[in-house]
Amino acid sequence: MNRTTSPIQRGVLTFLVLTFLMTALGLVALPAGAQVTYENILDGPDEDWLTYAGDYAAQRHSSLTQVNTENVSSLVPKWVYHIEAGRRLSSIPLVYDGIMYVGNSNEVHAIDAVNGRKIWNYRQENVEGGARSNRGVGLLGDKVFFVTGDCYLVALHRKTGALIWNHQYADPEQGYHCTVAPFAYKDRIVVGVSGGDSGMRGFLTAHSADTGEELWRFWTIPAKGEFGADTWGPKTLDWGGAGTWMSGSYDPELNILYWGTGNPWPDFYGGDRPGDNLYTDSLIALDGDTGKLKWYFQFTPHDVWDWDAQEFPVLLDLPYKGKTRKLVTQANRNGFYYVLDRVTGEFLHANAFVDKLTWATGVDKSGRPILVEGQDPQPGGVEACPTVRGAANYMSPSFNPNTGLMYIIALEGCDIYTSSAREPVPMAGFAGTGGEKPPRNGNQFYLRALNPTSGERVWEYPMTGPTVMWAGTLSTEGGIVFFGDDDHHLVALEAKTGEHLWHFSLGQQLFSSPITYMVDGKQYVTMVSQTDVFTFGLFEPVKPVPMVKRTREQ
Amino acid sequence: MRRLVFLLLLTVPLAAQNPALMEAVRDPNEDVYIGKKEHVAAGAELYALACAGCHGPTGEGGRGPNLVIGPAAQNKRPTQIYNGIKNGVPGGDMPPFGSMPDEQLWQMTAYVGSLSRPAYEVDVPGDAEAGKALYFGKAGCSKCHMILGEGGALGPDLSDAGLQNYMIQLREGVLEPNKRITSGFDPVRLTTNAGATIEGVAKNYTNYSIQLVDRGGKLHLLPTSGLKEIVFLKNTWMPDLTKRFSEDELQNILAFVSRQATRVSTSDDTETGSN
Repeated sequence: MNRTTSPIQRGVLTFLVLTFLMTALGLVALPAGAQVTYENILDGPDEDWLTYAGDYAAQRHSSLTQVNTENVSSLVPKWVYHIEAGRRLSSIPLVYDGIMYVGNSNEVHAIDAVNGRKIWNYRQENVEGGARSNRGVGLLGDKVFFVTGDCYLVALHRKTGALIWNHQYADPEQGYHCTVAPFAYKDRIVVGVSGGDSGMRGFLTAHSADTGEELWRFWTIPAKGEFGADTWGPKTLDWGGAGTWMSGSYDPELNILYWGTGNPWPDFYGGDRPGDNLYTDSLIALDGDTGKLKWYFQFTPHDVWDWDAQEFPVLLDLPYKGKTRKLVTQANRNGFYYVLDRVTGEFLHANAFVDKLTWATGVDKSGRPILVEGQDPQPGGVEACPTVRGAANYMSPSFNPNTGLMYIIALEGCDIYTSSAREPVPMAGFAGTGGEKPPRNGNQFYLRALNPTSGERVWEYPMTGPTVMWAGTLSTEGGIVFFGDDDHHLVALEAKTGEHLWHFSLGQQLFSSPITYMVDGKQYVTMVSQTDVFTFGLFEPVKPVPMVKRTREQ
Repeated sequence: MRRLVFLLLLTVPLAAQNPALMEAVRDPNEDVYIGKKEHVAAGAELYALACAGCHGPTGEGGRGPNLVIGPAAQNKRPTQIYNGIKNGVPGGDMPPFGSMPDEQLWQMTAYVGSLSRPAYEVDVPGDAEAGKALYFGKAGCSKCHMILGEGGALGPDLSDAGLQNYMIQLREGVLEPNKRITSGFDPVRLTTNAGATIEGVAKNYTNYSIQLVDRGGKLHLLPTSGLKEIVFLKNTWMPDLTKRFSEDELQNILAFVSRQATRVSTSDDTETGSN
């Protein structure tokens, strides 16, 4: 517990005292100014980029057209912002009202989005476990939200970086650490946990954006006696993983939150967890108000390859077999592209989106994989495809309603998987062992454009590189797909054909996905490298700036 | 592993040569004296008599080194401080105090050690509740300094002031607000090309742009091409509290501010809690 969020102490007493004092003394708080509303986020990405995936449907399709197929060739760097403590930045920047917010391990930077100058930087020192990844921030009202590595959800004043509240929602002593980008909808913030490769019990919580108070909690591993508990066996039920480390998507009409869950633990040895291991490697659909489970779909029952299902669930309203349906799709780490009905969770379709796929021959009518014998990890190693990193991963997909294409990052590759039947001791770095690249295996990344309901490959753009990147895609109304490639480039392709239009080398492997925004009538495109924020715009000559008279009183 | 062996090789002879390192082991007296309110208070009285002449009344240094910030203060174990007081600095100005009773030496150790802890961990005297009323009331601190979302933006947020500052820094901030300026709070007055004036604090500035929070709390992101003049002011926007408030009242404000800390356990809330 921490005392900044004791609701009774703060909520009642402080409120009464402060209200009285502020009224009596005529004190004024900061002017409210522009506020990020739920409606703003509902509008989807236009001038602003307000949530990790741009919009609640996670389509990452911007309505901006100023940068388009005709002029993208004259896209030039406008500014670079260096993040001193940045090591492997994987966060997606958010932009609102001319200010960009970038998360890094235990800190947030607020940057003037026109010129890349720092406005403020909030940094939490002395965080247990040190510098973990950080996937970015959330925005709602006058606050910016992020999580620290030791699982405090922190609310800052978005204009000044002043601390409004912090609330520890998971205990590192129980195997958790936190990296998730907080997800804002209505009046609340949803966050998840990491740590599933070393034993913990996954969950998602919703918090009041005003106070941090926990509104609901959904455990991604059932408690003893609950539905699904019999899919585990006694040794691992309390530590089975099912992390929730990526943001999700949300259907405001259905009021359903969609969230992918992580692998079971120990990752690579299944002997101590007989059964399907619910709700690992699943898409869970939760009631937005209560957090109660509406339905779930498990992609990889009894996973032994570490294939988290945390690739973004993309929500689409498209004709499926002649009838427009509310769909949710996911290019899963296990190599299959899935289409489900997002109202009911009914399985509709799956097909392999990579050629290198050896662990299953396909899926049956219920969507359950048809396994190939002998592909389980063994003490001496077994080659299986896709790799541990998966055929897809957290690299953001995007969807362009004009081309009707889904853009995904696919990794064609295989690993040699090993396992160990050692007694699973949680929180000791034991994952039941792992996977390694076979020598000379030719693993390779592709950007693939898929038909969103059939999963059929329409075109692909092969990459060169060492297959170590984690960069995703962005679609724009200007007819462009931007993405980070495996050789340091931000690349622009023609959305319909996949033809190359523009590229720029950022000088480092990339772990984030591009965004776009507009300030004062000018469109920008931003891509984060491991240590820096790069922002591009259309070329225009720089006007000379006369030296302003600047004095310092003595 | 190779690195560890190397470090061990390096450390053993050093420790053998350096009595301070050899003695850096836990003394049972630490449990008796260190962090214990009554002993720290007794140590403060002894300090005023025996140490303040050289190290300054609040440990800020003088003829002797600063005991709050700097190499003499940082990362010293209680046994090192104790030995320093007891034996003095041979060949230096610091005399040995070994003739004093051992209890008093440990009490001084407890006090000196507390000087280099964050203000929250030091039992700052004063009535924190009275300080809170002043902070949000007639002293007007909250007009500029936010605490957990309550207050203005012209001065630094103080939500974690007790953890982010030594007592000496908080004291200086309250009593001598113009002595130094916190980064991002440079007091400034702009004149635009149209002749308008904007006063506030500069979060950041270059030859080409300035990011500023005005006195009303509004954030401005401005290119300098729209400005006629930028004047950085000598004094911050913070009023001189020493003219309007008694020493006791100022101490109460300090007591309140020093107790501002988040992410701390609730076990000691009865003593220090104020949120």
